Amino acid sequence: MNNIALGRYLPLDSIVHKMDPRYKLVAMLVLMIAIFFPSGYIGYAIIGSFVLFSLLLAKLNIKMILRAMKPMLFMLVFLTFVNTLVLRTGYVLIDLFGFKVYSDAIFQTLYITIRLLLMIMVTTILTASTKPLDLTLAIEDLFSPLKRFGFPAHEIAMMISIALRFIPTLIDETNRIMKAQASRGVDLKEGTFKEKIMAILSLIVPLFVSSFQRAEELADAMEARGYIPSAKRTRYKQLKHTMKDWVMMFCVICVLGSVIWISL
Amino acid sequence: MPIAFEKVNYIYAPKTPFQYEALKCIDLAIELNKITAIIGPTGSGKSTLVQHLNALLVPTDGTVYILDRELSSNQKNKDLKSLRQRVGLVFQFPEYQLFEETILKDVMFGPLNFKMSEEDARQKSMTALTMVGLDESFYERSPLDISGGQKRRVAIAGILAINPDVLVLDEPTAGLDPQGAKSMMELFVELNRKYKKTILIVTHDMDHVLNYCDNVVVMKKGEVITHQQVNDFFFKGESVKEIEMALPQRLRVVEALREKGFKLDSKISDIKELANAIKKEISHE
Repeated sequence: MNNIALGRYLPLDSIVHKMDPRYKLVAMLVLMIAIFFPSGYIGYAIIGSFVLFSLLLAKLNIKMILRAMKPMLFMLVFLTFVNTLVLRTGYVLIDLFGFKVYSDAIFQTLYITIRLLLMIMVTTILTASTKPLDLTLAIEDLFSPLKRFGFPAHEIAMMISIALRFIPTLIDETNRIMKAQASRGVDLKEGTFKEKIMAILSLIVPLFVSSFQRAEELADAMEARGYIPSAKRTRYKQLKHTMKDWVMMFCVICVLGSVIWISL
Repeated sequence: MPIAFEKVNYIYAPKTPFQYEALKCIDLAIELNKITAIIGPTGSGKSTLVQHLNALLVPTDGTVYILDRELSSNQKNKDLKSLRQRVGLVFQFPEYQLFEETILKDVMFGPLNFKMSEEDARQKSMTALTMVGLDESFYERSPLDISGGQKRRVAIAGILAINPDVLVLDEPTAGLDPQGAKSMMELFVELNRKYKKTILIVTHDMDHVLNYCDNVVVMKKGEVITHQQVNDFFFKGESVKEIEMALPQRLRVVEALREKGFKLDSKISDIKELANAIKKEISHE
C-alpha cells in the first residue's frame, strides 16, 4: 500500500513546481484534448516531446512513470489480442497458418498505448508537482465564475480537500486494524472462503465505524469554529501567476494548434 | 525459552525518502512470569518494540527469540498464527477493533480463529469477560453501543479469551478514569500471580510502574537505556533522574517533604511506611 507512485505529490524544487496550479490544471486539460485528436505519429511526436521536456523541467524520473504503467500491461496485452481478432483492414502483416494479422490492428494498438502513456505522463506531472491542497484551490478558483449560477464551487473544493486530507489517515488506520485483528488470529492470506469473508468484515466494520465517528467529530470541530460554507472568507495562500505561467500556456496552445492543423 | 532481542534494528520504509530508523541495535532479555513495564517518551520505539513480540513486525536486522521461536529477516517465518496464540498483543485504543453484532461474539472471534471448539471458545470468552468485570447482561449487547471504558474491557477480554502465555499491552489504561485504570492494573497483577502469565505493559504512568511492575525497561530514541528491577530503578542509582518523565506521586511527596526539611528516608516505598515516618517527624517537633 506504500508504493502508490501514481498521483502522489513529490516535494521537489523545480520551475514546474512553482507554477500557478490554475494554469497547470488548464494546461493539462488542453494537452488531454490535444492527445485525443487523431493527429498521427507527427502529432504524437510533438506532444510527446513537449511532455518529455516538461517532465525533465519538473525533475521527475521517467522510470517512475514507466513503473506506474506496469498495472496497464495486462490491459494492453488484452487489447492487442482483441484488436488482432477484430480489425481486418490495412495490409496483411503476418500470416499465421491462414490466420491473418492486419497492419491496422497493430497500429491501432500502438496508438492507444501511446495515448495512454502520454495521458499518464501529463497527469503525473500535474499531481507530482502540485500539492493536493493547491490543486483544490485551483479548482475552486476556476469554478468560481459559476458561483453566480448557484454552483457550489467552495463546497466542492472543501469536500475534495477533506477527502484528500484523510487518505493517509485512513491508510494508517487500516494498517492498525489489520495488525490488531492479526493479533486475534485473522489471516488475510490463508483460510477457507468463509474465514476470508470474516477477515474482511473484521477490517471493514471497524474502518467504517471510525470513519463515521471521525466525520462527525470533524463536523463538530468545524461548526465549533463557526464554519459556514457560504460565508465570505479570505485566504492565507494567494494564487499568483507570473511570466512563466503565460509562457507555458502559450506553448501548450501552440501544441494544440499544431495538432489540430495536422489532423485537418 | 526466554524472550530476547539480539542486535535488533527496525527501519520503517527502508530505501525511500520516508525512511525512519525506529529501533537501533536492541539487546534485551525479558524475564518470564514477571510484569515488565516499558517506558519512554513518545516516538522512542516502544510500540515498534512490542509489535516484534508476536511477529507483526520482523526485525530488519538481528534476531528475536520468543518462547521456542526465532524470528529474523533472513528466514521464512512460517506459522505465525501459533505464535500469536501464545503471545497476545493488545493495541493502543483497542476499542477500534470491535466489529461483531454482540459482545460475546466479538470476544469469541479470537478463540474461534485459533481453532478452538465453539463450546470451549464460549466458555473462555465468558471467563474473560468476568475477569474484566463485565457480567452476563452485556453478552448480547452490541459492542458499539457501550461506553469507551467498557469497549476497552471488551477488547482486552478478546485477547484474554485466547489464553496466551505472554500478554503484551500497549498503554492499556490511556484515557481511562483513575478507578478504571486501577482495576485494570490489578487484573494484570492477578493474571501474573495466579495464572503465571508473562506480562509486558507499555505505559506513561510512573505510578503504575512503581505499584504494579517487577521490572522496567526505559527506551529513548530507539534504544534501550536501562533495564532494571523496579525497586532498583527508583531507589538505587541515578538512572531514574536521567529520563525526563514525572516521578511517581509518592516519590514526589517524599522529595518535597525532604526539601522542606523533613528528615525522611528517600527510599520509602510503602505508603503506610511513609505515613508513619511523617507522623514520627511531626511528633518530634
